[in-house]
Amino acid sequence: MSTPPIVLDVQGISISFGGLKAVQNFSLKLPRGRLYGLIGPNGAGKTTVFNLLTGVYQADSGTITLDGVKLNGLKPHQIAAAGLSRTFQNIRLFGELSVLDNVRLACHLRGKHSIWSTILRSAYHMGQEAAIHRRSLDLLGILGLDSRAGEQARNLPYGDQRRLEIARALATDPKVLLLDEPAAGMNPQEKKSLRDLIRQIMRQFDVTILLIEHDMGVVMDICERITVLDYGVTIAEDVPKEIQKNPKVIEAYLGEAAPAAH
Amino acid sequence: MPTLIEQARSNKPAAASILPRAIWPLLVGLAIGALMFYVIGPGMGDYPSKIVLIAGINIILAVSLTVVNGFTGQFSMGHAGFMAVGGYVAATITYYGSMKLFGSADPAGGVLSFTGGADKPTALARWGDALFIGSCLMGGVGAAIAGYIVGLPSLRLRGDYLAIVTLGFGEIVRVLLQGTHEQIQPWRVEDALAKPVYELAISLGGPKGFQLLPTYTTLFWVYLFVVVTLIICYRVKNSSTGRAFLSIREDEIAAQAMGVDITKYKVRAFVLAAFFAGVAGGLYAMDIGAINAGDLGFLKSFDIIIMVVLGGMGSISGAALAAIILTILPELLRNPPPVWPVGLVLIALIAGVSSYRKRFRWKPIIVIAIASTLLEVGRQIALSKGINVADFRLILYALLLITMMLVRPQGIFGIHEIWEILPGYARREAARNGARGGSQGGKP
Ligand SMILES: Nc1ncnc2c1ncn2[C@@H]1O[C@H](COP(=O)(O)OP(=O)(O)O)[C@@H](O)[C@H]1O
Ligand SMILES: [Mg+2]
Repeated sequence: MSTPPIVLDVQGISISFGGLKAVQNFSLKLPRGRLYGLIGPNGAGKTTVFNLLTGVYQADSGTITLDGVKLNGLKPHQIAAAGLSRTFQNIRLFGELSVLDNVRLACHLRGKHSIWSTILRSAYHMGQEAAIHRRSLDLLGILGLDSRAGEQARNLPYGDQRRLEIARALATDPKVLLLDEPAAGMNPQEKKSLRDLIRQIMRQFDVTILLIEHDMGVVMDICERITVLDYGVTIAEDVPKEIQKNPKVIEAYLGEAAPAAH
Repeated sequence: MPTLIEQARSNKPAAASILPRAIWPLLVGLAIGALMFYVIGPGMGDYPSKIVLIAGINIILAVSLTVVNGFTGQFSMGHAGFMAVGGYVAATITYYGSMKLFGSADPAGGVLSFTGGADKPTALARWGDALFIGSCLMGGVGAAIAGYIVGLPSLRLRGDYLAIVTLGFGEIVRVLLQGTHEQIQPWRVEDALAKPVYELAISLGGPKGFQLLPTYTTLFWVYLFVVVTLIICYRVKNSSTGRAFLSIREDEIAAQAMGVDITKYKVRAFVLAAFFAGVAGGLYAMDIGAINAGDLGFLKSFDIIIMVVLGGMGSISGAALAAIILTILPELLRNPPPVWPVGLVLIALIAGVSSYRKRFRWKPIIVIAIASTLLEVGRQIALSKGINVADFRLILYALLLITMMLVRPQGIFGIHEIWEILPGYARREAARNGARGGSQGGKP
């Protein structure tokens, strides 16, 4: 079986905060259309990897390439425009805005917005607003949030907020989607439907996914390959089956719950 | 899958509807301006219509500041500085322009600026109005340029720095304007005509202020701009640009991650707000017939900020309402009416809305009851002792703000427009979304 082209190519990125080496020499080759996982105990540096990829932090060293475009040094919004989108572990919705507006805002990235056409409500502007509106409602429909479109985002239940984060990230039309613990705080039922949802999204949106997740049931079930971080260092990179047997991984997780598949 | 831009192109509304949509705000502005000028103003008498005019200028100021402080959540403390820049630019062009064009600094014409036309019928035929309104727009442009110059470097900084930079900007503007040369008096038109333009542009009266300006501003012009400002700001708020503004205020990190160039949008908001403040400055100068940078310092900025905070951070109609209330309030305080009726109306409103929403709230009702009792007691004491309550205006403002922060820190309307919190709005909106999604649904 031939591997599809690499869409996200990360080579040896590192960052330290003061004396703390949060991520050291992290590398990853993510082929198009695949779903890879990133796991590790709390504080291992997983979220920091996402922050490096999306430009929240600048890597001290190493390179990040998305579909041939070098991302190092770009600002977060430029990285989003290049096709990398994400959700946040500590949910960062636009709380005062409606559910619909959260998604509409993210659609803005792929449009053109001049202040004059906004003020005069030009034909292009009206057409674009209508297209954004429809697209947002469609996305909300796919994520099962269409009935809540008018509610304020911060009033949603936890699980819905997580799914809204995914809807919002998808609205930027990404090539690669980074999901940071999307199942956190969900009940088993929600977790199960989340798995199906992630699979559906990959098919429907032709998007490649890198997933951080604590719930081993979810990770082992849907990820094709998994990278394991511990204290900022990559200690394993393999298919789920091997990861579960890897002594280093088991050791890293001792004290935490062992990574057993359900 | 078609891209958004392709979808936008194929979604364009019919060509026939484009022009009306672009210009109806202007037509409504003209109509309301004319109504104010011909009907409401004369019906109210001189003094009340003066208050209404000032209220209009304050609406423009408060609504424009809402774009920065309310939408993008940046804290600008220099709005009066932009007003000053615009006011002086407009005053300079109108004053010296009148001398050059009409040979005198008197108002030269225009039915809608009757101050000049009424007693000099011959002047009606001249284009003083056009000069005036053009110079107000130029004042807006001047303020917008100032906004760009101040905003571009400082809006890259985080939060509090902007407050300090804008505060400094306002003070610099004041000092610079107060350092200008003596103005060339209206009776020395020849001197003005002999001087080169750049020298006129720095002869703005210095610390004495720029005086004896032709007074063109009328209710018509003010309310024309009020309507245009309101509609433009509303259109901006309900657009991708407006959502980008609001996303910055909600969460800068998330906004950036969703592709919002936050510096670009902050500067946009800043420039837009400065433009309207500049226009308001021009209207203000040519209303009073004088403009003094000393009056447009930090305290004036603070007045405008209070309107925005009171109305709701992000509510256009809320800011406009607060501007009206805070313009009329000092007038009421000169001869304070009983407070209880107002308190009762407020309590009834809150009780009504909150029980309609099935979330009955006691706290605001109790606070309002206590506040209006205290105010009423104060009023009785003031009446019996013959104290002028208007002297205690600032203390009352402070109390008002503190009450506001306790009862409703997000301002009266928060981010919402007034009609959005009325009963039934959410239901209609949901129906609208459902209808659109249903009729045109399909794969994204
Ligand atoms: N901005 C920062 N400043 C200092 N330390 C940080 C910062 N961001 C993350 N860290 C530290 O880096 C380590 C990795 O954190 P994180 O990536 O959030 O872990 P996790 O794997 O749980 O997502 C932690 O020790 C955290 O305290
Ligand atoms: Mg994390």
